[in-house]
Amino acid sequence: MSIPKLEFPPFHLPPEAEALRSEVRAFLGETLPKLKTEDRFPSWNTRSAEFSKAMGKKGWIGITWPKRYGGSERSFLDRYVITEELLGNGAPAGAHWVADRQSGPLLLRFGSEEQREAILPRITAGECYFSIGMSEPDSGSDLASVRTRAEPVPGGFRVNGTKVWTSGAHHNHYCITLVRTSGQHGDRHKGLSQLLVDLKTPGVTIRPIINLAGRHDWNEVTFNDAFIPESCLIGNEGDGWLQVTSELAFERSGPERFMQNFYILRELVRVLGRQPAKRASAILGRLVARLWTLRQMSVAVAGMMQGGKSPAIEAALVKDLGTIYQQDLPEIARAIAESDATTEEDMADFLDVAQYATMMAPSYTIQGGTTQVLRGIVARGLGLR
Amino acid sequence: MDRETRDMLLETADRFFTDRCGREIVNNVEKGAWPAELWQAIEEMGLPHIAVPEEKGGSGGTMADMLALLRLAGSHAVPVPLAETALANLLIAAAGGEPKAGPATLALGALSLSGRRVTGRVERVPFAMVADRFVTVAGDKLAVVGKGGARCEATPSHAGEPYGTVTLDGTAVEFVGDAPVSAERAVELAAVMRAMQMAGAADKVLAIAVEYSKQRVQFGRPISTFQAIQHMLAELASCVAATIASAEAAARDADEGGLVDGGRFSIAAAKSQASEFAHRIAAISHQSMGAMGFTHEHVLHHYTRRLWVWRRDFGSESFWGEKIGSACAKAGPQALWASMTASRYAQPA
Repeated sequence: MSIPKLEFPPFHLPPEAEALRSEVRAFLGETLPKLKTEDRFPSWNTRSAEFSKAMGKKGWIGITWPKRYGGSERSFLDRYVITEELLGNGAPAGAHWVADRQSGPLLLRFGSEEQREAILPRITAGECYFSIGMSEPDSGSDLASVRTRAEPVPGGFRVNGTKVWTSGAHHNHYCITLVRTSGQHGDRHKGLSQLLVDLKTPGVTIRPIINLAGRHDWNEVTFNDAFIPESCLIGNEGDGWLQVTSELAFERSGPERFMQNFYILRELVRVLGRQPAKRASAILGRLVARLWTLRQMSVAVAGMMQGGKSPAIEAALVKDLGTIYQQDLPEIARAIAESDATTEEDMADFLDVAQYATMMAPSYTIQGGTTQVLRGIVARGLGLR
Repeated sequence: MDRETRDMLLETADRFFTDRCGREIVNNVEKGAWPAELWQAIEEMGLPHIAVPEEKGGSGGTMADMLALLRLAGSHAVPVPLAETALANLLIAAAGGEPKAGPATLALGALSLSGRRVTGRVERVPFAMVADRFVTVAGDKLAVVGKGGARCEATPSHAGEPYGTVTLDGTAVEFVGDAPVSAERAVELAAVMRAMQMAGAADKVLAIAVEYSKQRVQFGRPISTFQAIQHMLAELASCVAATIASAEAAARDADEGGLVDGGRFSIAAAKSQASEFAHRIAAISHQSMGAMGFTHEHVLHHYTRRLWVWRRDFGSESFWGEKIGSACAKAGPQALWASMTASRYAQPA
């Protein structure tokens, strides 16, 4: 019987990463109380340009990148520690998050020298922010069906089409946009390319899409005969699919997949007081144990990646378990707080936060690959398809 | 033992368990037969003495070596107290004693020692009905009691293993020494031991369910080709992966942090996780295998029933959850994140 291998070898973050953790914690302890943000409980999609610039000054954006682009040439494990400290401490790191996580690495890997020199130092300074231009009205999980068309014209491309769910496009500078540059709709993976689109380009229109919680994070970005210069093609024409799938791998197993609403757990601890009843303690402890496990798994994946492996199935498992945890968390926390909160005043505060977390919960198992897409990936890894 | 030696040992043990711990032997143990030959062969391989120093006749392995072996044993539903004996022997040796041959078990609970006599009652002692001796920690002493002086009442586990209630009434000890660990710690060590066995069993359940889905044909095609089944098995894989990952992390922390208090938070979290996931692992695997997997004929229940029993052994998810939860509550909200990045209970802020 061939047993599918699902190992997450326990991995210790190295001493230099732990030393960096102390530095980051000290910095956040000092910086966060002085910041004003619109969110009571900031998460990775809460933005503060002021905070991002301060992070840039510390050299903590693009920390793994070459020095000539403003990076520090440190390991992915150092980046991992920064990321989890931002989440664990509720830092408003949303402005630079995507650029640091995936747009910068994509440009490093596939971009032209000109693109790298122009963009990467601005990202590492915490001054240049990115959106992801993948989904379209008719193209969600089935990304290869994108219709946005970039027609080659002298000196560049004429782009027409619509992107949706484009987070932060109303604030960000660029959007790495997946387009069809050759062939026909229906050619699937062939003929796709990625363009570095300046969001100020004439012919590019950004309209808000308000989510169910009343927040304006998303946008619809329409291209109406927008001219994008040839120099903004990322990598080779026709390599878009390969590039986009490698970009998605950066997205999946990071701590934002299980710590996005960590604040609920912290709030639960607050509202239960220092000596909760046995049953409340047990439920709290089980939630903490789940989070601890997810962190062990995520750190193990980071260790595998640092070791040169590409643990795509493991990353999909972490995101599947992690996003479902995030969805369960407000529910379980609310139920136990309702029976065990110490004071009514505490409870009113808690409910306010829990309500927001509840409204955000459906998004976790959709963004960055739905549960069903992830399970398809895992099933393939198990040899079922 | 070095990595190569451990891998060789695990490979040999894997072949041995595959050959010798088949369906028959597991079912016979459930009917009350003690597999004396199997135990004899396991002793000849030195497995119960894996973590006993060489100068005391053991293999000189570490806690990590022992736990790796027990994960493997879990994936074969080995129906003898290998885990209990290996940990008992480790503790006896650490207390200055000489571990003897024969199956042993852990009677961890409210026992008191007065001079060289032990009194008290412990329920659900694994393999109580077949153990030659019982190891306990009472106060700052570790005591070993022979089966002769113990009154054992059979309370078979729901996996059919010979668990029992052990009553000692001023029973003379075979050995007493300074306890290398506290009574609370002994339970922690037994918990990480069970968590690793659960990881092994969980891994096997996934393998069985995946294999079955490829063989079983319905509506003219293997059921593995149905998306509904694929997604169920993917979820099963995530529960199994989490069980393995948490148990392995706890095993590492218990080993690296030392016998006395290594990996306290990790062990609590891992046993809580393994116990919590046992339900989904059993539920999904049974659902995916239909009536076939519900028969006594099939081996799936050797693993799912053990998961149901083991999740309660040496602390359930409620027991360990309460330990973690009360420590986190005591430390307060600001200490929560810091305790997550350290492998120990939160310290009050």
